[in-house]
Amino acid sequence: MSDVASRVERVLARALRATDPVAALQSAATDETLPEPVRKALARVDPDGVRMTALITVRLRFERLMQGSRSAAQWFEDDPSAFTAAFKRYQADVAPTATFPSDEGRLFEAWCAEENR
Amino acid sequence: MTALGFSLQPEERTLELLAAVIREEPDYYEVAPETLWRRDRAGRFHPNGFHELFAALAAETGKPFVAHGVGMSLGTVHPDATDRARRLARVTADHALFQFLWYTDHLGATTLDGLELTLPMPPFMSRETAAIVRSGLATMRAVVPDVGVENSVFYFHLGDPLDEPAFLADIVRDPGHHLLLDLHNVYTTAVNADFDPWVYVERLPLEKVIEIHLSGGSESDPKWLPSKRVMRLDSHDHSVPDEVWMLLERTLPLCPNLRGVTLERMEGTVTEADVPLLREELRRARRTMELARV
Repeated sequence: MSDVASRVERVLARALRATDPVAALQSAATDETLPEPVRKALARVDPDGVRMTALITVRLRFERLMQGSRSAAQWFEDDPSAFTAAFKRYQADVAPTATFPSDEGRLFEAWCAEENR
Repeated sequence: MTALGFSLQPEERTLELLAAVIREEPDYYEVAPETLWRRDRAGRFHPNGFHELFAALAAETGKPFVAHGVGMSLGTVHPDATDRARRLARVTADHALFQFLWYTDHLGATTLDGLELTLPMPPFMSRETAAIVRSGLATMRAVVPDVGVENSVFYFHLGDPLDEPAFLADIVRDPGHHLLLDLHNVYTTAVNADFDPWVYVERLPLEKVIEIHLSGGSESDPKWLPSKRVMRLDSHDHSVPDEVWMLLERTLPLCPNLRGVTLERMEGTVTEADVPLLREELRRARRTMELARV
């Protein structure tokens, strides 16, 4: 059964990295290899709540980055629209694997170095 | 007698503004252990500057501390064993210094399939998931004898949110496992999912409640969602709403093993004008506890 719990975890993780998290969860709800109670639960999620969750996780990542990278914070202050565009690309390219601001800062700076190569 | 607590936030300006309130009003302090650490490139945890600051406050005031973690991700099915062991080793070292009265973390998973999301994600409520959370609590209990799980705010659910109290009861059924009841989280979830918060509270195993959290929140901007819907947020950035005070009054007499009521406020949200308001909120909490004779 922890296999079911692992699968639910993967479904949620993929959905929260998807361009449309609600569509991703609705698609998973039709996966007949998942147990019926899981499919029912996925089919009944509050779409606004899913979107709000995805939004807050990105916002928390942004705040972590502002605390963890002086260069990112300076860039945001100097040119918010260019920084926002770059942050969107970073969010799409790099999975969130940092819990501490300094780790997020290192991830972002490595991504910037790669993008500027 | 139940004690009154206040959460210490890792931000110099907030601590400076609240210096007198922090020293004069609460009986104990709550800290998120992870906010007292930095991580080196090898992944090991070390005390940061706030660790030293709070240790000095402990020495100065003699007031006890409780730990309210944010990083154990109790709902993660297969947590990274190395990372969890390092976290617990650091909490063990912190416990040797702060002598935490109890140690809690949140319901849900902040780590999903290797992704670090910070915000707890809702669990699929089953006996198996409850066993996963119990197992995480048992590892925490190896460090601090009394541990607990807090009802989190989830903005969506995998199941009926009113089934969550029974799920929590299953999680905290073992001795030494407790419930941290966050009344603003109950209220926020009730507003967003459209149910009566008292129905949720009265379904809980209230005899397992060791601590109650009080806080305030705000509402989302209508522009955030395509539907323009406004949702209540667990943002800890405003005063405790009346609905939460009413929940406190009703809940206190029903929690025979309650040891603390803690007021939480997010760093970066306190201005000079908020200082007397926060002092009054702490005093109101104490008066409410005295009236309830807990």
